[in-house]
Amino acid sequence: MKTTARSKGLLAGLLFLLPNILGFLAFTLVPLAMSFGMAFTNWDFLKHNMFRDVPLHFMGIDNFLRLLRSADFWLYLGNTFYLMLGLPFAMAGSLVAALLLSRVERGRRLILPAMIAATVVLIASALGMVWLGASARAMWMLFALLFASVLVAGVFSGGTLYRTLFYLPNFTAGVATFVLWKKLYNPDTGPINVGLGWLLDGVASAINAMPAVFAHGVPVVCALLIATLSIWHWRRLRRLWDDSEAGVAAIIGGGVSLAVAAFFLLSWEGMGGLYAWSGAAVVLLVWVLSLARRPRPWGKPKATDKGLGTEVAVGMVLIPLFMLLAAGIVAGPGLPAAAAVGIPAPDWLADYNWAKPALMIMMLWAAIGSNNMILYLAGLSNIPPELYEAADMDGASSTQRFWNITWPQLAPVTFFIAIMSVIGGLQGGFEMARAMTQGGPAGSTTTLAYFIYSEGFQNGSMGYASAAAWILFLLVFVLSVFNFRYGNRHVND
Amino acid sequence: MKRVFLLIFLLLCGASLGLYLTQPDRGSPVPVLYWITQDDPVKRETIARFEQWLKDNNLPLCEVRIDNVNQDPTKKLAQGLAGVGADIMDIYNTQTEQFAISGMLMDVTEAAQEMGFGPEKTYPALYSDLVVNGRQYGYPRNAAAPVMWINRDAFARHGLSEPDYMWTWDDFERIGKAYVEATNPPGTRQRSYFTQTLSAIQMRRSLGLSIFNETMTRSILDDPRNTEVMRRLYRWTTELRLIPTLAEQNAMSADAAREGDAVFYLFQHGRYATLCMARYALIRIRPLGKMNLRVVLPPTAEFPNMEFACGIISGYTKTKYPEHVHRFLQFLTSEPFNRLVAESGDSLPPVPEYVHTPDFLRPPDHPEEWEAQDVFSTAAATYGIASCRSPFIPLDMIIRPGTGIDTAICDSVVAGRIAPEDAGRIEAARINEVIQLNIAHDEELRAEYERLIKVQEKIDELRAAGKKIPLSWITNPFHREYYKAKGWVEEDQ
Repeated sequence: MKTTARSKGLLAGLLFLLPNILGFLAFTLVPLAMSFGMAFTNWDFLKHNMFRDVPLHFMGIDNFLRLLRSADFWLYLGNTFYLMLGLPFAMAGSLVAALLLSRVERGRRLILPAMIAATVVLIASALGMVWLGASARAMWMLFALLFASVLVAGVFSGGTLYRTLFYLPNFTAGVATFVLWKKLYNPDTGPINVGLGWLLDGVASAINAMPAVFAHGVPVVCALLIATLSIWHWRRLRRLWDDSEAGVAAIIGGGVSLAVAAFFLLSWEGMGGLYAWSGAAVVLLVWVLSLARRPRPWGKPKATDKGLGTEVAVGMVLIPLFMLLAAGIVAGPGLPAAAAVGIPAPDWLADYNWAKPALMIMMLWAAIGSNNMILYLAGLSNIPPELYEAADMDGASSTQRFWNITWPQLAPVTFFIAIMSVIGGLQGGFEMARAMTQGGPAGSTTTLAYFIYSEGFQNGSMGYASAAAWILFLLVFVLSVFNFRYGNRHVND
Repeated sequence: MKRVFLLIFLLLCGASLGLYLTQPDRGSPVPVLYWITQDDPVKRETIARFEQWLKDNNLPLCEVRIDNVNQDPTKKLAQGLAGVGADIMDIYNTQTEQFAISGMLMDVTEAAQEMGFGPEKTYPALYSDLVVNGRQYGYPRNAAAPVMWINRDAFARHGLSEPDYMWTWDDFERIGKAYVEATNPPGTRQRSYFTQTLSAIQMRRSLGLSIFNETMTRSILDDPRNTEVMRRLYRWTTELRLIPTLAEQNAMSADAAREGDAVFYLFQHGRYATLCMARYALIRIRPLGKMNLRVVLPPTAEFPNMEFACGIISGYTKTKYPEHVHRFLQFLTSEPFNRLVAESGDSLPPVPEYVHTPDFLRPPDHPEEWEAQDVFSTAAATYGIASCRSPFIPLDMIIRPGTGIDTAICDSVVAGRIAPEDAGRIEAARINEVIQLNIAHDEELRAEYERLIKVQEKIDELRAAGKKIPLSWITNPFHREYYKAKGWVEEDQ
């Protein structure tokens, strides 16, 4: 009797699950299997479709080899990784947003005054725009007044409003935000360049007013900052080595950041190319050899890869910083000449060198208030308050509270976010590139996802596109395994 | 549980039935044809005239509805190949063979001969836009040849002389430089350009070079003449800034209400002194108010030419109403439709005789266009040359905006990522690689390729010996016209 009831229950359960299972099979598993098979064929949907009877040919690994030989593939893979350099900053932004929002008082029920205040400010903004003829200056005024209205409304309604506003990019349709950002980036009338124009005019005036030696000092300052960061990183790694907190792999991984710093420093004043590459290699070698001879009082760590994940994460923050400072080194000497005729604001989406950073800024904006922030908020609310109370009793500062309680307690959340961000980063960039730049200029914003779309749906080369998709999968898989292996996912790590 | 399951099941069945019963064409007493095209007043008037034409000729009635959300070529292809294409669709000239070889387009060869809408009913140069492998797949809705529109007021404002009807590349550079210097004060961001774009294909042809050889079996862009074209494009776009880059055009169009609108506003306000576009520009220029316009040929180096192409209307091979689709194509040859094209300011009417009617030459409400209309009535027929379509690689793969091989290379050259000297070699290698891939596993195509390779060898021998080539050996429409003009061919049977 019991068995019959259980069987019936099982049957009912399966019937409920059936639509989902069928959907999964039809729209996920079968296409996945097909795409794997097709990656080894010459599947061209212009020739192999319901209207034509051209036989498919097995190509072995030709599609994969062709991909690996293709300069475009490597360029687009590089673009994808470049855009992913923003991930650590996006995660840090989400964490900061969550920390700030967790401190704002919630639930003060003064929604009506908040709405009235916001309405008044918005009407004032609209009138201001009309008065100023909807020009770029008016756009700026609108932004300023909107910002003011948010602050005013926030005072009345508490943290709920801020939480909603921060989360806004996440539930706004992607294409709408891309069109908005395209307008923001407009080189002539976009508020970003209008605002930057005022700022750069001020900078240009300041540079013009200064003796030339100050402007020529910019590269020196940038170089010194690179050197300072490198020394800090060097000492940090050495301490980890001495304390047996880092294995050989981690030390070499960390040394790559030092090599990158050396590369940028040696690229200064046109000393790039082979000279810079050799210098970077020498720095890495010297670094490894110097540590190899250094005694470790606590003995060798059990695993050679101990701390590797942390060093990769540190590298993902340091390397973009080095790149920014290197840009300062390159642009610095030209500043007085540029300032003499006025420093132009960037041609964000039209300039080969600015298009990727422009997209990264937009991604950063979208990522800060995304699900990552919600996850961090949830993570913060789960930290036992007694830990903070104990820290307070010990007289810990807020920085110490953060690094010794908040950050370690958020480790599982950070780990999860890192995994999802890396997967999203590798698979992403398609909608953005399609809507904003069509992958240009000169392919600078074409990501692997866009390449797959273009090959598959525009050229019809589904076999080739499938091969690219499976290489993308392999990358996602390898990076996820790396994350699982080296990521800091336990609270007590 | 069972009841809940049954209830949900019945609800879903009911919803499906409701959806089926409320399908739009169920409410129409006559067959409904869906037409993928832009939803604009001209298209709506086309439908009205078609329905009136059916009534006037006592033909079976049908209703045509516009589907303007599926205009993207990839959507048309994906839907068509999935068996759910629209009954009739606009196909742009670059896509004809891609769609035709997929098998999704209706073969109308016999119906066209029977009902009088065969290729002989339109411009001879458009044959290859309608006919793929000897079969006809549609009929032109218009025929376009890009010219250079001149905003005469913009020139007059700055006291500059306008280009002549036929002008050289050096003229273009000289006048363009003067215009850009006059309209962009030193030390300010550039806001005005001489023109919005120039066609690399037209420029190459003006030096006697085509993308393909005479039999279209190989790309010959690894030719010094292509280097010259690339050098010019780089110089005009990047050094002299006479033309914006593609990305700059995109950025400038960010403020327009509709995609593509911005260019006309910019032209009206002199931010482009000239516009390289076909007659259809009038559809957008007319609503902006009266402009003082002139039309000249695109600048040329040696051989004056214009790219002549048409947008065709094709039927879907799986349509339920093939006879109504045929009737719609037949309507495109009728007087009401051709007069509509002439009156509306769209490109040239598909039936050539209508370009000599008063509707076309002397639009009563637009006397300011009369001079330009005279040019349109003769220039395309005199200088127009059809697109080169190799059966071994879809043209769309080469000149598609954004990701086409030629588009991407030109974009990379102007962005300074590829040297003009290297561009042709890279481009030819890519095109030839795709040709080899396409013939590798398609026996029919490979047989045709091998036949044409033998013909090409004979052509090369005759060319080397300085002898005339039989015209029928040449399949490349550009070489046919160019060699005829040079006296390098002989008519044969």
